[in-house]
Amino acid sequence: MVMTTHEEKMRTVRFRVAAAPHIVVNPDICRNQCTVHACVYVCPANLFVPLDDGGILFNYEQCFECGTCYIACNQEGAIRWAYPDGGYGVTFRES
Amino acid sequence: MTTHPANQQFDVIIAGAGPAGSAAALLTARAGLKVLLLERGEYPGAKNVSGAVFYGSAILNELIPGWWEQAPVERHICRRNIAFMSPATAVALDFRCAGPGYATAPYNGFTVLRPKFDRWLAAQAEAAGAFVLTSAVVDDVLREKGRIAGVRVRREQGDIYGKVVIACDGVNSFLAKKAGLQREFHPHELSLGVKEVIGLDPAVIEDRFHLTGNDGIAFEYLGAITEDVHGGAFLYTNRDSLSLGLIGQISSLVERRKRPYELLERFKAHPAVAPLVRGGKLREYSAHLIPESGWAMKPKLYTDGMLVAGDAAGFCLAAGLYLEGMNYAMQSGLAAAETAILACQKGNFSARTLAVYQKHLKQRHVSTDFRAYRHAPSFVNGPRLQNLYPEIVAQGMEQIFRVDGAPKRKILPLAYRMVRQSSIKPGQLLRDVYQVARTYLW
Amino acid sequence: MHIAVCLKYVPDPSTIEADPLTGSIDTGRVLYMMNPADESALELALRLRPPNGAVTVLSVGPVEADRLLQEALAAGADAALRVWDDALGSLKPIITTALLAAALRMKELPGLVLCGGHSVDRGSGTVPALLAEHLDWPVATDVTQFVLQSGRIRVQRRLARGARAESEITLPAVLGLETGLAHLRQASLPSLMRVKHTPIPLYGLEDLGLSPQDLHFPAMTLHEIMPPRPRAQAMFTPDASAPVPERIAQIMSAGAAGKAGKVLDSGTPEQQADAIIEFLHQRGFLEHRT
Repeated sequence: MVMTTHEEKMRTVRFRVAAAPHIVVNPDICRNQCTVHACVYVCPANLFVPLDDGGILFNYEQCFECGTCYIACNQEGAIRWAYPDGGYGVTFRES
Repeated sequence: MTTHPANQQFDVIIAGAGPAGSAAALLTARAGLKVLLLERGEYPGAKNVSGAVFYGSAILNELIPGWWEQAPVERHICRRNIAFMSPATAVALDFRCAGPGYATAPYNGFTVLRPKFDRWLAAQAEAAGAFVLTSAVVDDVLREKGRIAGVRVRREQGDIYGKVVIACDGVNSFLAKKAGLQREFHPHELSLGVKEVIGLDPAVIEDRFHLTGNDGIAFEYLGAITEDVHGGAFLYTNRDSLSLGLIGQISSLVERRKRPYELLERFKAHPAVAPLVRGGKLREYSAHLIPESGWAMKPKLYTDGMLVAGDAAGFCLAAGLYLEGMNYAMQSGLAAAETAILACQKGNFSARTLAVYQKHLKQRHVSTDFRAYRHAPSFVNGPRLQNLYPEIVAQGMEQIFRVDGAPKRKILPLAYRMVRQSSIKPGQLLRDVYQVARTYLW
Repeated sequence: MHIAVCLKYVPDPSTIEADPLTGSIDTGRVLYMMNPADESALELALRLRPPNGAVTVLSVGPVEADRLLQEALAAGADAALRVWDDALGSLKPIITTALLAAALRMKELPGLVLCGGHSVDRGSGTVPALLAEHLDWPVATDVTQFVLQSGRIRVQRRLARGARAESEITLPAVLGLETGLAHLRQASLPSLMRVKHTPIPLYGLEDLGLSPQDLHFPAMTLHEIMPPRPRAQAMFTPDASAPVPERIAQIMSAGAAGKAGKVLDSGTPEQQADAIIEFLHQRGFLEHRT
């Protein structure tokens, strides 16, 4: 099928999940200083989940390592971002 | 210069095995230099995403004559289509050329699948003598006596030394930032591309797009296709699949609170696009950042012991008519390689020597092209060109072609009325006409 | 002590896309990796290696498996070898293990062989036991923990339904380890660079002193590989004549009561083995009692 849900899209991507997260979100900053929560909308892998208390829950396992969240985040220091260890993370096959 | 164990000392260390890095590695290795090409993915291309049309066929042909005979290419592009979209209308400029250079060697451009193409190109560098090391992520530069003397790989005993470091580590270049050559970016300078590769039978592709044999077509879409988000969309034909994607400026996505993959779904459902993708099956979804601001986000390109090339240097031309990155990546990688070879001959790796990089970039038409189109990105990403004009063009065509018993109007009064009805002020319109002319005409 | 670890180059299951109609797999999109259970077996072997000991890794597979063995060398294994012969057809576990056993005999036999208990591709889980049979060594499968104690090894095994068993076996022995016991260490940069061009010794049938006849095991034949299809399931209906509480109990247990097994906890091992054979014979799994 051509029209697909986000879950169906993500199932086509291969990830080799590293033991430690390569992105660290500081939920205190999200909770207390950020009103935009841009990461929730722009992340192409939909990895940022807003919490009831205003914080952000982050899943690093299915990250495309694109850097959008880090660029879009308007709060200094809320997202610490690096590439995962060599050989880990997303592995595109056809893109 | 401090000496290090021979196995940890290279002439050239290149971070990133994309088209810039692999081209640089190929050329420096051919010159007999000891070259290390580092790639963080499991294989070269594993982290790389673009449209992807590779317009650098003639450039690569000089390095590897008849390269397309052996490389994993999809289709050569001999038809291009640029469409202005409103929610229900599309007005397109359709270009087809069966003439020399487009439909014959060395061809004008090829669609490629990056994981396959980049892997092949890195293998060519390896065959030329470069040491290609995968699963090696580079975190930082090493400094010695005020100059950059190597890189730090995130592994035990990961320090490795080189006379010249070439940073080809992509749009998020950590190396250029660590070396103090690049600043942090603003969300309006970068765009996010989301993409799908959709499998389709080759016979269906040929019938549907009126292609013969290995011909291919590139569609590009402007206007309401991205709703009110600044950006565009594309659809390219591969051998047995389509690559289609949607590009959105980050600041604009944030402002409009739009999810990129939902826009991608609406793009596929647009009446002008849906029949093209019908019956296909999703093979892979991907995403990547695009350094769309070009000249405005160019870092300082060299310092003592280091050069920057490819996306890391912002060499991606997103100028409406043109959407090119891989060819400039390759050209800048080659220019960096020529610079490194010269520096090795001289035995001098100071910024003063490496400044010749600028001359090589000019000779390879990289800096000249980016300078010439330096106004394009901000103009192309402006609100009027993004939404208003495509809408006016699309609506205008809709009225010109409509037959409903009302008297026919000539184009000029129609255009006059449409402009009057829109929110454009005459002064703005004049300025934009001047901008278009300044961007593309002279 | 010398430890050997058996590694398998397997397709990453997340990259296997089978056509729902034909069951055929799009091989162009499959990526390969080190079997996860083998990966943790290797890490445990490296941790266990005494200062004067050695870890040898071996794999049965085509030339692509060299990458996996080089990865193991980069992580710290001392030696690697690969077994392959173009004369080999489809590999079933009994043949793989015969080859592994022959390869282990090429040099001084190790004191301990670690295997991942299950591979993510075929996953028969039979390799550790079959290898032990070829070597005539004791084996412990489904191992979650183990401790070496002067010539013996104490293991904890995972049994069905959350149960655990502790047992002790004598060395030399084969262990089949559970997946995910340890995370394989990242190789250092110098090791990663060193192994890139390290040749991996290759042993063919002749090198191992084997002939195709030695690998003829007709008792187990692979006929066909099919994509799994859901089995037709009969709805459980309780016995209508039974009293209400009993029917409720039948519904709650969904008929599971009928699967009750029998625990053999008395008698000598020989008597227990006879009881198992008798049981299998009665149920039609064995034609003869011998």
